[in-house]
Amino acid sequence: MTPVVKTVNLVKIYSDGAVPVPAVRGVDLQVEPGEFVAVMGPSGSGKSTLVHMLGGLDTRTSGEIWLDGKRVDTLSESAWALLRREKIGFVFQFFNLVANMTVGDNVELPALLAGVSPKVARERRESLLAALNLTERADAAPAQLSGGEQQRVALARALANKPSLLLADEPTGNLDSRNTRDVLRLLGEVHKEGQTIVMVTHDARVAALADRLVSLFDGEIVDDGRIARRRSRTAGEVIDLR
Amino acid sequence: MSTVLAGGRWIRADLRARKGPAALTVLVVAGIVAALITAVTLLEDGTNPWRGLFAQTDGAHVWVHTDDSPQVALDRIDGVTRTAGPYRSAPVTVVQDGKKEPAALRAMPAAPPPVAHPVVTEGGWLDGSQPDGVVVERSFANALRLRVGAPFTVVALSGERHTLYVRGIADSAEQGFYPEWAPGLAWVLPAALDQVEPMLGRSEWVTGLRLADPEATQVVSQRVVVMLEDKVQRVYTWREVRAAMELDNRLLGTLLALFGVVGLVAAALALANAAGGRVLGQLRDLATLKSLGFTGGQVALLLIAEHGALGLLGVALGAAAGWGSTVAVLGATSVAPGPVLSIVGGTAVVVLAAVAVPAWRGARTPPIPDVPSAPPRGHLSRLARLALLVRLPPALVLGTRDAFTRRVPAFLTAFGLAVPMMMITIGLGVWATLDDFLRHPEQVGQHAGVYVRPGKLDSAEARRLAELDPGVATAYPGAEVDALAPGAARSVRVRALGGSADPYPFPVVEGRMYAQPGEAVAGQGLLDLLGLKIGDRVRLTVGGSPLIVRIVGRAVEPDQDGEVLSLGLDSLAAKDSVPPEFYALALKPGTDRAEVRARLLAESGEALDVQLAVNPADRLSVIRAVIVALIAVLALIGLANLLTASALGLRDHAFDLAVLKAMGLTPRQVMATLVTGTGLLVALGVGAGTAAGAAVATWLIDLQGQTSGVGAGIGRPPSPLTLAVAVLVAVGAALAVALIPARRAARAQVPVTSR
Repeated sequence: MTPVVKTVNLVKIYSDGAVPVPAVRGVDLQVEPGEFVAVMGPSGSGKSTLVHMLGGLDTRTSGEIWLDGKRVDTLSESAWALLRREKIGFVFQFFNLVANMTVGDNVELPALLAGVSPKVARERRESLLAALNLTERADAAPAQLSGGEQQRVALARALANKPSLLLADEPTGNLDSRNTRDVLRLLGEVHKEGQTIVMVTHDARVAALADRLVSLFDGEIVDDGRIARRRSRTAGEVIDLR
Repeated sequence: MSTVLAGGRWIRADLRARKGPAALTVLVVAGIVAALITAVTLLEDGTNPWRGLFAQTDGAHVWVHTDDSPQVALDRIDGVTRTAGPYRSAPVTVVQDGKKEPAALRAMPAAPPPVAHPVVTEGGWLDGSQPDGVVVERSFANALRLRVGAPFTVVALSGERHTLYVRGIADSAEQGFYPEWAPGLAWVLPAALDQVEPMLGRSEWVTGLRLADPEATQVVSQRVVVMLEDKVQRVYTWREVRAAMELDNRLLGTLLALFGVVGLVAAALALANAAGGRVLGQLRDLATLKSLGFTGGQVALLLIAEHGALGLLGVALGAAAGWGSTVAVLGATSVAPGPVLSIVGGTAVVVLAAVAVPAWRGARTPPIPDVPSAPPRGHLSRLARLALLVRLPPALVLGTRDAFTRRVPAFLTAFGLAVPMMMITIGLGVWATLDDFLRHPEQVGQHAGVYVRPGKLDSAEARRLAELDPGVATAYPGAEVDALAPGAARSVRVRALGGSADPYPFPVVEGRMYAQPGEAVAGQGLLDLLGLKIGDRVRLTVGGSPLIVRIVGRAVEPDQDGEVLSLGLDSLAAKDSVPPEFYALALKPGTDRAEVRARLLAESGEALDVQLAVNPADRLSVIRAVIVALIAVLALIGLANLLTASALGLRDHAFDLAVLKAMGLTPRQVMATLVTGTGLLVALGVGAGTAAGAAVATWLIDLQGQTSGVGAGIGRPPSPLTLAVAVLVAVGAALAVALIPARRAARAQVPVTSR
């Protein structure tokens, strides 16, 4: 089976300042379809940089990135943007909803961008918001929502085009435990439906939700292993974060 | 297509979130475009009725007034295609509603001539069956409120009264409009003129020459002067007629154009500033859009579309308003489509260019939304250090530091306020100059407020009556004659007033006043026309006799485009100056001119012809309305800049607010910090703008005065009090505008959030 993402000796060196700062130093990572990978590591270990490169938000210094069997690290910024519309969904720590647009518009935006008709985009948005229990907040401004609700909207937006890869950068980093649990449950549910997810976190309890844990330290993978799972029925329900 | 849909959503949402500033942008651009279109319409010849009248009447290019019927064949001159006349013309006074107006009664046949035939607009042309009929030139008829069928009472030089009846009202391109161009014009049949003025010696003959090439006037009129020698009284060309018809429009147009062009620059700045500030505030949203799959180019297009659309909407509205108002006021034919379209196109380009730079900047933002776009932090500015040194309150120090953290926007804000403020100051200068005209008419040559012509009385009696009046300080005897200048294709006005030893106080701004016979002062227009400078000798011909004077000074001269030579009555030949044609009455301070006029009329039993001087400021009073409108538009531009600065300041400091509060600043101090940040830039911009405006206002007005012939020396800066009030109002309004969002921000519970 073609891996969804494959990196070969991926390197990122920031050379803005006087001294070049290596953030990612030769990462080889392969994510199979349907996998839920948690990337952990202390601050500055390069985990955010890694996901940003996987989504084309940041350029690599050297190495290769393959997405769905195609090499993508050589793409231009615009080509990356077109690729993101179809294949990649992003969830950020600070939600990043477009402040001026309503919740509904925020969710419809990626679908419209991908060339879906307004009618279909609206249907998708309705089903997504219904699934996330946000139907009645569709006309609210993002600022009127709680953090957890905002992150759920962000998740809906990321999933609007059924991307082959969902990248989540500290999705619970800015949430209280109750909202964290809600968001994680949702992530667990979409994963169960076959969504491939790469999630960055520094919280071991959050990472425990994943199938596989990749530990980064100083830009290198120091540990990569499947989490031995006491799997009961659903991944989400076994964790109690209270 | 997909991006258009998604982008449209985003633009709509963004515009909804900032209706106020968006509307302001539209208004500002619309105001500027409307001003520019009005300006170009006024400056274009389209508004000048001369062109149309000249074509309708098959007008003559050169007009020659002679004191006898010209015996030479003027139509043999090279370049002359046809001639009109010669027509006999007699000076009369028209009495209408107790007013007396000077008029020239022109004999014309019942069959209209092929060249320079008046075009009847009301009633009919002269008819042999009604020998007492008269056709009156339209502007003259308007001034006298004459209708077809009304009686037209004229008093000939002999003092004899004749009553004629208005048969028709007609347009003519022969002379300018009454009362700017006096005497007024009326046509009668030759037989009627013989009855009114049988003395040929009191008449002049008027001949019009139509040329093959309108540019050949100079050559032709010189030939005429040579051929007719001393018979020529006066020569003028179509240029003077055209200039007379357009005088006020031009001044207004120039003013509007100046304000419009500088306003356009200011508006472009304000637009760039507003778009830039908005983009800066949206960098995170733009990054999010990119992470969702917008390319950089698409983001740039999105921003250009949004901000450009506002500007273009403003251009469209302004064009409609400018076009509509000029059509409403001046008629549909006045608007020339070419210049209007180029203004619309030009402003559209300016608008798009102004928003393109911030759009390009916005598009370059990296697609990682979590990277904070923080203002450059760093050391305290020098100003802030100074503020610390003099132990200002901490809120002021912090505000001072904030004011300059972003150098370019800080500069744009200050500059964006300085430019409108400069223009407002110039506008106030124009206002002050007009006020000065009214308050000190003697400074524009109107020391005398009342002019008395003897009328039926003899000159000495008129003088005695005038000097007896309790309101009159001095009566200056005077005469006005037309003189032919060497090399100039036309006549100039020579105004003799008072004696050379005790001269009428002409406002001499360069050189000195004349002090003896043979010396004179001239207006700027005359100096320019004849290429003279102070100290030169000039030889003119007045009714055949030479007049040689030395120009010893330049006077401010609002009449006749400044083409006037002023001298003492004793410098003129006796035939022109004795008895004096009129008396200019200088009144005692505080005397009402209308009262003096009424008294003189009563004393003389209506025999005297008494006229009040028309202050140039009265003719220009429409400028005041324009100034008020322009100040409103400029204030809007300033407001737009201010809102941008204020929004940007708040955005930059949203994070600091929590920190400031945590450090122990009260909400009031936080507010003071924010207001100081904006207020300092406002004060800087307003101060610089006012200083620049005050510095150039006088110079600009004088420049306009010089080009219009009035001459430099009329410009007045706005009074210090006006300036102080303007500055205080501007800064105060700005602070009030900055205060509202600052207050809200200071009171809000600001969580320590990211950006």
